[in-house]
Formats: sequence, C-alpha cells, structure tokens
Amino acid sequence: MSESLFTQLLNLTVGAMLLTAVLTLWWRQLSSIIVIFGLQGIALAATVALIATHEGSAELGVVAVLVLVLRAGVLPWLLRRTLAAAGPNRRETRPLVNVVTSLLVAAGLTLLAYAVAQPLVALDTSPTGHAVPAALAVALTGFFVLVTRRLALSQLVGFLLLDNGITAVGILTTAEIGLVVELGISMDVLLVVLVLQVLKSRIRAAFGRTDIDELRELHD
Amino acid sequence: MTALHAGLGVALGAGSLTALAGLLVPRRARTTVVGAGLAITGAAALLAGIAAMTGRSASFAVPDLLPLFGLLFTVDPLAGVFLAITGGVTVAVGIYGIGYCRGPGDGQGHDHGGLDARGVQAVLPLFVLAMLAVPVAASVGTLLLCWELMALTSLLLVIAEHRRRPTVASAGRWYAVMTQLGLVAILIGLSVFAGHAVDGSFAALRAAAPTLTPAVAALVFVATGIGFGSKAGIVPLHAWLPRAHPEAPSNVSALMSAAMVNLGVYGIVRVGFDLLGDTGAAWWWLLVLGLGALSAIYGILQAAIGTNFKRLLGNSTTENMGLILIGVGAAGFFGTAGDLDLAALALAAALLHLVNHAAFKTLLFTSAGSVVQATGRRDLDELGGLNTGMPATTAAFGVGALAASALPPGAAFVSEWLLLQALIHGLPATGVAGAIVLPLAVAAVALTAGLAVATFVKAFGIGFLAKPRTPEAASATEGPASMLVGMGVAGVACVALALAPTLVLPTIGSVAGATVGAGDPVRIHGLTIELVGTLGATVGSLSPLMLTLALLIGTVLALAGARALATRRAARAARLWDCGGGPLSARMEYTATSFAEPLQRVFDDVLRAEHDVDVSHYDESRYLVQTVEYRRRVPDRIEKRLYDPVLRLVAAWGQAGRKLATGSVHRYLGYGFYTLCGLLVLLVVTR
Amino acid sequence: MTGLVVVVQLLVVVALSPLLIGMMRQVRARMEGRVGPGIGQPWRDLRKLMRKQPITPDGTSVVFRTAPLVLVATCLVVAAVAPLVSTAALLDPVSDLFAVVALLTLGTVTLALAGIDTGTAFGGLGASRETTIVALVEPTLLVAIFALSVPVGSTNLGAIVGATLADPAQVLSPVSLLAAAALVVVIIAETGRLPVDNPSTHLELTMVHEAMILEYAGPDLALVELAASMRLSLFLGLLANLFLPWGIATGGDPLLIGLAVPALVVKVAALGALLAAAEVFLAKLRLFRVPELLAGSFVMGLLAVGASYFLA
Repeated sequence: MSESLFTQLLNLTVGAMLLTAVLTLWWRQLSSIIVIFGLQGIALAATVALIATHEGSAELGVVAVLVLVLRAGVLPWLLRRTLAAAGPNRRETRPLVNVVTSLLVAAGLTLLAYAVAQPLVALDTSPTGHAVPAALAVALTGFFVLVTRRLALSQLVGFLLLDNGITAVGILTTAEIGLVVELGISMDVLLVVLVLQVLKSRIRAAFGRTDIDELRELHD
Repeated sequence: MTALHAGLGVALGAGSLTALAGLLVPRRARTTVVGAGLAITGAAALLAGIAAMTGRSASFAVPDLLPLFGLLFTVDPLAGVFLAITGGVTVAVGIYGIGYCRGPGDGQGHDHGGLDARGVQAVLPLFVLAMLAVPVAASVGTLLLCWELMALTSLLLVIAEHRRRPTVASAGRWYAVMTQLGLVAILIGLSVFAGHAVDGSFAALRAAAPTLTPAVAALVFVATGIGFGSKAGIVPLHAWLPRAHPEAPSNVSALMSAAMVNLGVYGIVRVGFDLLGDTGAAWWWLLVLGLGALSAIYGILQAAIGTNFKRLLGNSTTENMGLILIGVGAAGFFGTAGDLDLAALALAAALLHLVNHAAFKTLLFTSAGSVVQATGRRDLDELGGLNTGMPATTAAFGVGALAASALPPGAAFVSEWLLLQALIHGLPATGVAGAIVLPLAVAAVALTAGLAVATFVKAFGIGFLAKPRTPEAASATEGPASMLVGMGVAGVACVALALAPTLVLPTIGSVAGATVGAGDPVRIHGLTIELVGTLGATVGSLSPLMLTLALLIGTVLALAGARALATRRAARAARLWDCGGGPLSARMEYTATSFAEPLQRVFDDVLRAEHDVDVSHYDESRYLVQTVEYRRRVPDRIEKRLYDPVLRLVAAWGQAGRKLATGSVHRYLGYGFYTLCGLLVLLVVTR
Repeated sequence: MTGLVVVVQLLVVVALSPLLIGMMRQVRARMEGRVGPGIGQPWRDLRKLMRKQPITPDGTSVVFRTAPLVLVATCLVVAAVAPLVSTAALLDPVSDLFAVVALLTLGTVTLALAGIDTGTAFGGLGASRETTIVALVEPTLLVAIFALSVPVGSTNLGAIVGATLADPAQVLSPVSLLAAAALVVVIIAETGRLPVDNPSTHLELTMVHEAMILEYAGPDLALVELAASMRLSLFLGLLANLFLPWGIATGGDPLLIGLAVPALVVKVAALGALLAAAEVFLAKLRLFRVPELLAGSFVMGLLAVGASYFLA
C-alpha cells in the first residue's frame, strides 16, 4: 500500500470515528445512537486493520478482527437487547445541555484536543501521529456524552465512545498494542456493559424509568 | 562462600519455605513446622549479622525486578547489628510460638483456631523477612518497599484475633493509619533527598549530601525523623504502641517490640549519621535528644500507673526507645561539637541498650503471653500468686524485670552505665548548650530509671507474688514445653548480656566508631569494660561479672553468718499479722492501682486522672444509698491535647467536603470531566 | 595488701554500724531529757533476735525468705568497695559511684518485693511508698554524682576521693557545697530518717520502711536491722570521705590503715550525732510533701553541675 493511499484511508477512518462521535450528540433516537456506535466500531476496526497492513503485523490483524467482533458486533447487540427491554422511553428528551450547546462544546473539545496533542504530533510526524488529535477528540467527546445525558443507556454509549477513543489513541501512538492488553481492555469493557445492563434493569424495576437525574440518594 | 553469604542465603530460603509451609502444612503440624522454620531463619540471620558486624560486607542487586528501580541491597556493619538482633529475637519467638499458637490464644478458653490459621502462620515468616530486609536496603525504593511490606505484614498479624475481641479492630485501625502517615513522612524526606542526587541509591545520596542547603538537609532529617520516630514509638507519635501491643498475639508483640521498633532507630541513625554525613547541625541532635528524654519519661510514667499487663510492657518499649534516642542524640551532638570519640561512646551505649532491650523485652512479652494464656486475664489487678502454679514463668519474668529496671546484675544496667558515662564526659567538649542539656539529660535518665524500678516492682510483685486475686489466677499452670524453651532462650541471652557484655561490646563499639568516624571507644580488659580518656588514662571501669560474683559471695557470707549465729530451732509457719480479725483474703492485698497511687498523685499535673462517682439510691428513700460506683481513668494526655484537636479538624474538613456530594450522579461525573478539561487547558496554556 | 583493706572495712562496718545507731538514739534520748538505753542496745537487740525461733508466714515464697540475705549481701559488697579506710580498692571495676548507688537500690527493691510477697496491705503500703521515694530520689542522686565527677573526670570512687585529698581547697567550692547539701537530703531519703520516714513508728499513716518488714521476725529481722544500720553507716562514710577525706589511707600500708579506722569512726560518729540532733527538732513530712523536698535537693544538684562548668 502506498504511503499516500495509507494516509488518505487513515484520515478517512479516524475522521469517521470523530463524525460518529459528534452525531451521537446530535441524534435523539436511542436506536439510531446504537447504530452510530456500531458504525464507529467498524471505523475503529478499519483503522487497526490499516495500521496492521501498513506495518505487516499479523498480531495487529488479529486485534482488528477482535475489535470488529466486539465493538461492532457484540456490544451493539447487547445495547439493542437492553433497549428492547427498556420499554417506551426511546428518545433522549431534555438532555442536561441542549443539542446546540452540545455541538458547540464538541467543537471546542476538538480544538482543545488538537492544542494539547501538539507535542505528540511534533514527536511523530508520520500519518499515524497526525491522526492522534482526532482520536483524542473522540475520547473527550465520549466523556462529555457520559456527563450530560440523562438516560442510563446514553451514558453507557458515552462510556463506550470514551473507550473507543482511548484505544484509538493507543493504536495510533504505539502501533503495537499487545494482544494481551487489548484482550484485557475488551474484557473490562464487556464486563462494564454487562454490569450496567443488570443495573439498568434493577433501576427500572425500582423506579419505573432509568432517568438517573432523579436519583439523588447517593450521598451521606 | 563466606559466612555472611551463607547466613543470608539460608535466612532467605528458610523464611520463604516456612511461609509456604504455613500455607500448605495441615493444621496439626503447622505451628511446629513454622516455629522450627522461624528458628532456623533467625539463627541464620544472627550468624549473618555477627559476620557483618565483624567487618565483612556484601552487596546484591536485583535490577529489573520492579519498574523504575531495581532492588539494591548492601550489608554493612550497622545493618549487621540489626540483622543480628532480629535474628536472635526470631529464634526465641519462633520456638515460643510453637506452643503458644496452638493454645487458646488470649481468649477465655475458646476453641483454638485463631493463631494457627493459615493466614497467621504464613504471614509470620514474611514479617520476619521484611524486618531482615529493611536494614540491608541500599536504595530509597528498596527501603520503602521493604518498609511497607513490614508494615502490611505486621498489620495483618496485629489484627489476627479480631474475631475474638472488638477492641482489636480499633487498635488495628490506629496502627494502620499511623504507620501509613509515617511512611508518607519518610517518603517525603527521602524523595526530596533523592531529587537532589543522581538516583535513589544510598551511594548517590551520600555523594549528594554535601551539596544540600541547610534548609533542605533539615527538611530531610526532620521528615524522616518523624516517620522513623513514629515507628520507634517516640512521643508524640507513640499512640499506636500502647494500643497495638495488648491486642496483638504475644509472640507478635514480642517481635514488634524487640525487633520492629528498632528499625525506627536504624532509620534515624542511617539518615543522620551515614547518609547526611557531616552536614548535621547541633539543633537536629538536640531535638532527637529532647524527644528521646520526653518519650522515656512519658512512657515509663504511663507504664508506672497502668494496670494492663501488656500495655505496661508496650509503654516500657517507648521508654527504652527514648533512652536509646537520648544516646543517639548525644552522639550526634558530640559529633557536631567535634568530639568523635565521645560520640562513638554514646552511640555504642545506645546500640548496646538496643541489644539488651531486645533480649529482655522478648523475655517479658513471652512470659506475659504465657500468663495471659494460662489465666485469660490481662489486668494486673486480677493476677497474683502465680509463683506457685507457674514457677518457671515467674522466674523468667523476674529475670526480665531485673534487666528492665536497670539494676545490677541485670542487662540494662551496663548500657545505662555506658550512657551515663558518655553524658557525663561530654560536659567540657560541648560548651554552654551542653552545660544546660547534659545535666537535664542525666536527670531524665535517672528519673526514668527510678520509675522503671517502681514499674517492674509493681508488675512482678503484684502480678506474680502474694495471693491470687481471681480463681483463674489460682488455677494457672505452666504452658507447653516449647513456650518454656522459647522463654529459656531469651532468658539465657539476658543473663549472658548481663554477666558478659564484653562478648558483644567490642563489636558494637567498633560499629559505633565506624558509623561516627572514630576509633573504638571502649576497651575490654578481660571481663572488664574500660573507658579510655583523652590522655590514655582509664577514666572509668565496670565489671558486671565481678559485681555479680561479689553479690553471690556476699549472700553466701550472710547465709553462713546467719546460720552460725542464729538458733538451731526449725522454722515455724505462722499467720500473717491480721490485727486479730481472721485470715486475710486476697481482696485485702495491695493491687497495682493502689501501688501506683502515690506516683499518680505526685505526677497529677501531667497525668490528670479522670474520676467518676455514681451514687444510686433506693427508690423508696433518697437518703439510703444503694450502690456507689467509682471509676478512674488516666487518659493519655498527649493524645487529648494533640490528637483530638487534629482529628476534630480533619472531621470538620470532611464534613465541609460533604457539601460536594449532593447525590446527583451527573454532578459526580461532571467533577471528573471539568477537572480533566481544566488540566488540559492548563497544560496548553503553561507550555 | 588491698585484701587487708577489704577485710578491715567489712569488719568495721559490720561491727560498728549497730553502735552508730545506738549512739544516735542515745544522743536523741539525752536531748529529749531521757536516760536512753545505752550505745550497745542495738547489738543486744540483734542477739535477742538471733536466739528467737525463725518464722515463715503463710503464703510467702522464696522471695520473702531470701530478701534479707540479698539485702545484707549488697551492703557487704558496698562496704568492700567503698573507699572508707583506703582509696586503693580491691575491686576497682566495681568501685564506681553509679554501681554503688545501683547496688543500694537493689537492696531496697528486694525488700519492697518481700513486702508485696506477704500479701498484706501493710507490705504493699510500705513497698508502694518506698518505691515512690526511690523513684524521686534517683534524679538528685545521679545529678549530684555528675557534679562530683566533673572536676575529676571520672566516677570511680577512689579517684574522686584521691582528687579531693590532693586539692583540699576544693571542698569549699560552690560545687562541693551544693553537691553535699543535695546528698544530705538524698541520704535522709534513702535511709529512711526524719523528716522523710520515722524509723521508730508503727502507725499505718507514717510507716514506710517499717511497713515492708512488719512480717519479719527472729534471725531474718536481725539481718534486716543489721542491713539498715549498715546502709546508714555506709552512706555517712561515703559522705564523710567524699567531702572530708582527711585521715584516709592512700595505699595498703597496715599502719596507715590502722590510723584511718579511727579517723573514719570519728567522722561518721560526728555526722551521725549531727543528724540525730537535727532529728529532734524535725517532724515527719506528709508523704506528698516529700517530692517538694526532693525537688529542692534536685535543684541544688543541678546548680552544682552548672557551677562545675561555669565556675571551672
């Protein structure tokens, strides 16, 4: 694969990740958000596969397949199942920060990510280095989603976005994320999702809905 | 392979195998195997320590074991002293633990199952290994790692019996918090020091010491002094000692008091004399001396008026550590004044007292443990009359008490004599500061000695002599043979140190001299200790063996004289004087509380006992008294004045912080997000 | 011939200590307008006690039985090593001021343990009060020793006495006078004389030493009484020779020793008479006033040390 083709494709996949992250802030329907998340998973897997092809590393190829299976397959399926059990509440209404402001904040976070990641880019002038700020922006956006959504499912999606962004930053900076490490991270993420699934159903059973903004008992 | 390498290797191997055995061996044989393993580990460490003290040294490095730094070990003569002490104590405690851990522990006849559990038996050897590793650590990282390992294992052992008594959990909490605070202080001090050096190894620190400014050097000394002093039980950071010792199992208390607190002194000596070298200022050492004097007096005062058996011994540890720090402080003070020979003498006295204290404290704690196990009572007011049922334990405690009260022919008499000699001869060399401080130090040592006499007369007399005050004390019997053997080992060590300190004094003297940078301060002439003055003339000499022999001859003479001159009639048993009112009951004996009451009154300004009197009347008439209840508590005044306000401040701060926790999950998540963004912005702006 | 010195000292101390007590009682009696029992009464009492049947009180242990022996042994050792008739000591490594003080404390401790061992309230009472006084006397004692040893540079008894002999004017220095005053109070406290303790009382409120030995009878009591008189003569002998050493021999020459013995007897008798005369005018202090007295003597000792440095 030629260098310029690699650069273009890499920018495409990382850009797709950033775009899907922003779209999560824009869309309201929960089912659409899950689809967008799945698309981001595919984009992440593509990034890893690209780097694997460029480096010629079989291990990274395995990692790419793993990422595809987990983040584009298993996790969206789990989320859809949770959504099915959720009942009528399928729209994220009244987020804490309204949509316009959220999008502006996302833009600001992207700029912050680019400013912060300057030294990293200066250190690694290859195409992967140039893509790091975008991945960092994905992480920050995911954190923002986690903080500002009301429904538990949206928060879960935000957490997963954060994790995707961190994985992307890791792959882009080191190009050698070990298999064991990736396995470990994946297991952690899977566990979190499962736990939150159970938690969500419990909250629903106790309160009838999963709007956690109403929960204010978590203090002394 | 030299004796040093062999000893260290065997100690490490035996310790690890014993820890493994503690996990795997079935319950019936567990304590025996672990006890034997501990004895082997201790003996090997003792051998290695002696080899190191006589001049051999060695270095080991395990570079890649941990990220950021490897492990670095160096055995030098100073480390050898502490290796030997820990090893010796472990031998006695290991043998003692065979029988002790199998018994009902400190409970009241509950089923055994506490101390021979896997957790306790496997952690004991790890504790010993950590204590052996701390003196030989040769880099900041290694020292901190081994220190924390020692703290964690000792914490696990202290709370070993938490299921039986609720007070154990509270004692464990105090211990854990104070140990961690001490660790933080040591970390700060050593990190600041290492920051000015090339890397964290002690060799680099030594090289960097001359480049430190006085303020930085003072900060390092004071911070490490606080951390190490807390471990040694020095006032005002002593609060964990009298809490942890009564609640821990007795063999663990013996290990802690006789081996672990020494490492606090080790830290101060290592940082002050070795790492910081000649950059010391006089006020540092005067501070050490002052705190040592305060701890000595305060510790023995608390012991003199206390009635909990093991708490009394714990307070006595504070007192002895205070005496040792008086010696260390005097050594540093004389060193900064230029008299290195006298400094070596003072340090030798301190190290000898360390060795003596390890021997007699082991003996005292092991015999106290036997008593508590046999009777289930921990209060002196409920014991008594044990000499009929437990004669060997009584004799052992008597030897230990004689040693602890610094009377001849006890062990601590020699080290206190040396300490007093060092203080007395320091007057010309140290100027006005010395003229003010040294007499006060001598007075402090003297008051401590007097109060120690009162304390141990009380402990031995009330606890073991006269009539038993409770049925449990009346029916007490000796424990299993292994406990007696363990006590015997410690007793033999005490007696040997008392009669022939010349066996250990030359090596300790040379260690002290090497640490301070002078020659051997003490000369041995046969079995006599001689102090050599500046002109080569002997300025003082002491021969404990000769003194003991003279006492024995005197006793024989008195016996012979009495037999010769007295009548030949046989002795008649008679009633005690009871004013004609019938035989005396045990209720009429003096108790420990009443014995200490004059002392408590004399020192009332310091102690401030709290009295509560509750009078309850009959329902029918307010003029008829039904019961009168009197309660007296002597709180630890330093705790009330120093700890309570600090704890209240921290609690108030925490209460104020609760306002941050409104209950909203979004708020909590938001805290994290805003902090992260804020930090990133800061990063961008300040670059 | 230092062996001769030891034998002479032992004989003198053992034989003449009860006579010292007798003389002190006689002085008191005469000053109080009584005839008095005569100087030899303590020896007559000892003889009577020796002839009585020994008694073992119920419930006491080996500690009670051996305490009088150890007590007498400590006094004998101190009598052997203290520079009473000569500065040349046989057991030089034991002739250290700290060691002597510690030995005498050991004697007190064994008696206190014997008191507790009886299991009576009186025994515990005496032991408790005695150990309190011992604890409070220690600082004064050691600081006074400090003051005495600074001019000489050593705590060896023979060296201190020899230094005073070599430079008699030293006795009038503030260091010596202050140290002597402190030591007088210490001696009163350690030997249980008025105003700290009344040696002839048996009232519960006022006993200290007597309470500990209440259960002793017969030969044991004789040993305890002998030991008490020996302690007093030893303390007074040390006080005399530390501050007024004239007459003491400096070697093992039998002639000088022969002259030293009467010198010692005269000095100790004079000090004893002074002490007895002072006792006539003193009442016993309350137990809780004793720390004030001891604190005053401590301050004097501290001033003595300060003077030894600042006025040296």
